[in-house]
Amino acid sequence: MRKYSKWIFSGVIVILLAVIPQFFSIYYANFLVAFAIFSLYAVTLNLLLGYMGVLSFGHAMFFGVGAYSTALALTHIPGFPLLPAILIGGLAGGLLAFILSPLLVRVSGTAFAMLTLAFGQLIFVLALKYREVTGGEDGIGGYPLPPLNIPGVMSIDMTDQVNFYYFALVVITICLSILWFYTKTPFGSLVVGVRDNAMRLQYLGFNLPQTKAINLIVCGAFAGVAGAVNALLQKLVSTVGVLDINTSFLPIMMAYIGGTGNFFGPVIGSGVLYLLEDLVIRFTERIGLVNGVIFILVVTYLPLGLIGLFSMAKEKWFPKEKAS
Amino acid sequence: MNILETKGLYHDFKGLEVLFDVNLQVKEGERHAVIGPNGAGKTTLFNVITGTYSPSRGQVFFKGKEVTGSQPNEMARMGMGRSFQITSTFNRLTAFQNIRLAILSKRGIRFNLFRRVDKMQEITAETDEVLKRINLHQERDFPAAMLSYGKHRALEISLALAGDPDLIMLDEPTAGMSRDETHNAVELIRRLTEGKTVVIIEHDMDVVFSLADRITVLHYGEILATGPPVEIRQNQAVKDAYLGETEM
Amino acid sequence: MSPTVILYISQAIHGLAYGMLLFLVASGLTMIFGMMGILNLAHASFAMLAAYFCYQVLRMFGNFWVALLIAPVIAGMFGVLTERYLLRPLHKQGHLAELLVTVGIMAVILEVVKLFWGTESLVVKIPPSLGGLVTFAGMTYPIYRIFVIGLATLVLGFMVLILFKTRLGKIVRATVADSDMVNALGINTPLVFMLVFGIGTWLAGIAGVVAGPLLTVFPGMADQLGMDAFVVVVVGGFGSLGGAFIVSIILGELNAYGIQFIPRLAPVLMFAFMAIVLAVKPLGLFGERE
Repeated sequence: MRKYSKWIFSGVIVILLAVIPQFFSIYYANFLVAFAIFSLYAVTLNLLLGYMGVLSFGHAMFFGVGAYSTALALTHIPGFPLLPAILIGGLAGGLLAFILSPLLVRVSGTAFAMLTLAFGQLIFVLALKYREVTGGEDGIGGYPLPPLNIPGVMSIDMTDQVNFYYFALVVITICLSILWFYTKTPFGSLVVGVRDNAMRLQYLGFNLPQTKAINLIVCGAFAGVAGAVNALLQKLVSTVGVLDINTSFLPIMMAYIGGTGNFFGPVIGSGVLYLLEDLVIRFTERIGLVNGVIFILVVTYLPLGLIGLFSMAKEKWFPKEKAS
Repeated sequence: MNILETKGLYHDFKGLEVLFDVNLQVKEGERHAVIGPNGAGKTTLFNVITGTYSPSRGQVFFKGKEVTGSQPNEMARMGMGRSFQITSTFNRLTAFQNIRLAILSKRGIRFNLFRRVDKMQEITAETDEVLKRINLHQERDFPAAMLSYGKHRALEISLALAGDPDLIMLDEPTAGMSRDETHNAVELIRRLTEGKTVVIIEHDMDVVFSLADRITVLHYGEILATGPPVEIRQNQAVKDAYLGETEM
Repeated sequence: MSPTVILYISQAIHGLAYGMLLFLVASGLTMIFGMMGILNLAHASFAMLAAYFCYQVLRMFGNFWVALLIAPVIAGMFGVLTERYLLRPLHKQGHLAELLVTVGIMAVILEVVKLFWGTESLVVKIPPSLGGLVTFAGMTYPIYRIFVIGLATLVLGFMVLILFKTRLGKIVRATVADSDMVNALGINTPLVFMLVFGIGTWLAGIAGVVAGPLLTVFPGMADQLGMDAFVVVVVGGFGSLGGAFIVSIILGELNAYGIQFIPRLAPVLMFAFMAIVLAVKPLGLFGERE
C-alpha cells in the first residue's frame, strides 16, 4: 500500500498542476513556472552541497550562463528552434563547469566556496562590463519565443502563456526525473561517498578528480537548463536576476530550508520561499529581511531543514521497528 | 616471489627525515608484521607504499612491477587494500552502503549512470555476503557512525578487504580494542585473509606473535631486523631498542 | 612637475587611501578568519552599518568627530553581540554552518538598512575642518584623503602596538594561531573571540564612517568594500596581517590606476588574480591555516 501511496500522491500533484491554468489567472501559472525553475536550480546546487559536500557559492554563474546563451541564440540566430534553445543553455552551463573543473576539483570546504564565489563574481563583472555582448545592466530582451515544433504533426505556439506553462513544467519535470535517477545510480552512491570520505574513496580504487568533475558538470549543465527556461519565461535576461550574488544565495537558502539531506528538500525550500514572498509582499517590500531571518533560524535551529523536522516528527509519533 | 618490495627507500618531510634506506621484502602469501616504537616511521612507510606519498628516494615494487609514486587509487586497482589506524569509514552511510562501494570498485563499476544501484542484484548479494562473513549483517542498515567501536573497526578493516585485494595493508587494526574485541578482530583477519598476503602494523605483541609469519622491526626510520618471530624475540638489538619493557 | 607625473602621484595617493581603508576592513576579517576559521561575509556589512550610524549621528548632533567616535563603537558592539549569540552556538556545527549564518547576517543587515534609511544614496559631507585642498610640490590634493591615510595609519599603528607589545596582544596572536592550545593553557578563549570580533568590526566601522564621504552612503556600499576585502584576505593569506596589508595597498593602487587607465579590465583582473592565487596556493600568499 505504501508503494502505491507515492504514485497516488504524484498523480494528484500532476492533476492539480494540469488544471491550475484553467482556474487561476496566468499570474499564478507563471508563478508556478518560476517556482519550478528555481526548484531545478536549487536541486543542482544541492547535488553539490547535500550530496557531494561542497558549497557552490557562485552557482548563479551556471544559471546565468545558460540564460544568456539562450537569449543570445534566440536574438542573433533567426529561426532558432525551441528545444535547441534550451539545450544550448544546458550546454553552456556544462561547458563552464567543465572549464572550471580542473581548478575546482582540487579544493573542498571553505576554499571551494571561496573559489566558486570568486568565479561567480568574475563572471558577473564580465557580463556587466561587456555591454556589446550582454547588454550590461539593461540586459538582452525582446527575443522571439519560438513555437514547439513536432515535425509533421503540429506547431504549438509558445507565446500563449498557458502553452508555455505546460511546456516548462514538462521540461522541468523531465530534468528533475533525470537527476533523481542520477542519484540512484552507482555513480550517485559514489558522489555521496565523496562527501563522507573522499580520501577513502581513492584507497578503494576510485578516481576522485574525475568523479568530482563529472558531478560538477552535471550540476552546471542542469543549472544552465534552468537558466534557459528562465530566459524563456521572463523574456529578458540581465545581470541582476541571473548572475548576481543574490541569485547565488537563493538556492542555498532553498536547499537549507527544505533540507539538504533529501533530493526534494530544495523543491520544498523553493516552494516555501515563493509562497513566503507572495505573502510578505502584501505587507512590505523587505522580503529579503524575512528570507534572511528565516535562513539564520533554519541554519541555527533546524539544520536538517523542514524535511528533517518532518522526519523527526514521524520518528517520534510513528517509531520504526529497530532492524532485527 | 616477493609480492611487495622496497629498495633503498628514503622519505623526508621538509627536511625532517623519517625513513632511511628501507629495504622491505614481503613474500607472497605471508603475514608480515611491522613493529617499532611510536614515531619509527611505520605509517609513513605504509603511506609511501600505498601511494599517499611519493618517496624522496628509492623504489617500490608491487607484483614485480615498479609502482613508485603511483596514486592511491592506482595502487588499489592493482590489488592493494589498506586500512587506517584512525577509523575512516563513510560515516553517514550504512554498513551496507560502505561495503557496497568497495564491491562496486572491485567490479570496475565506477562511472555507471544507467542503472539503479539498488536494483543490481549481484551487487546486493555480494555485499550481503561480505557483511555476513564479517558478522555485520545485523547492522546492515545502521549508519557507520552508530556502530559500536569494535564493529566500527571491523567495518574499517573490511573496507580494505572487501575489494578482494591480493595484498592487504592493515595499520594498527586492533587500536583501542578490548581483549575480546582484539581476539575477534584477529580471528576475522585470519579468516578473511586466507591465501592473501598481509602486512600489518601492530603494537599489541600478542597479536603480532600469533598472526605473523615474519616480522620487520623499524626503529627511527631504519630496519633493525627482519625474520620469523622466534628470531626477533632473541634478537638483542631489538630487545634493547624496543621490546625491553614488554613482557614476553 | 609635469601634469602626467602629478596625475600618477595623485592616483597613487588615491590608491593608498583606498588601500588603507581596505586594510582597516581586511585586518579584522583576516584575524577573525585566522582565529575562528570562518570568513565573516558580513564583515563589510558592519562597516556599512557604521556609515549609516554616522549619518544618523550627524543628523542628530551635526558633529563629524562625535560620529567618528560613536558609530564604529556601536558597530563593534553589534559585532560582539553577533559573535556571542549567533555564531558561538553554531561552533559545534562546523565551519559551513558558520559561513552560512554570516551570509544570512549580511542579507539581514542589508535589508534593515534599507528599511530604516531607504534605498537612496545618502550624502555625508566632509567636515569643514577636513575639507578643501592642500598644496605641496606644485600639486593640490584633497585634505580629506590625506586624513583618511593618516587616521588609518594611526589606528592601525595603535593596533600593531597593542598586538605586539602587550601581553593581551600576545594572547590574541596566540589565539589566532592556535585557539585550542591557548584554551588548554587556561585562557578564556571565548572572551578573546568576542574581543577580536568586536575590535575587528570596530575597525571596519571606522572604515565605514571614513568611507562615507568618499563613496556616499548607500545599501550597495558593503558589496564593493566587502568583495575587495575578501580578495585581500584570500590573496594575502588567511590570518596574515602582513599579507593583508601588502595586498590591500596593491589592490588599492590597482584599483586607482585601473579605473583611470583600463576601466573595463580592472575588476576582471582582480578576480582573475585571486582565482589564480587560490588555485596555486589555496592558503593565500602568506597564509598558514586552512
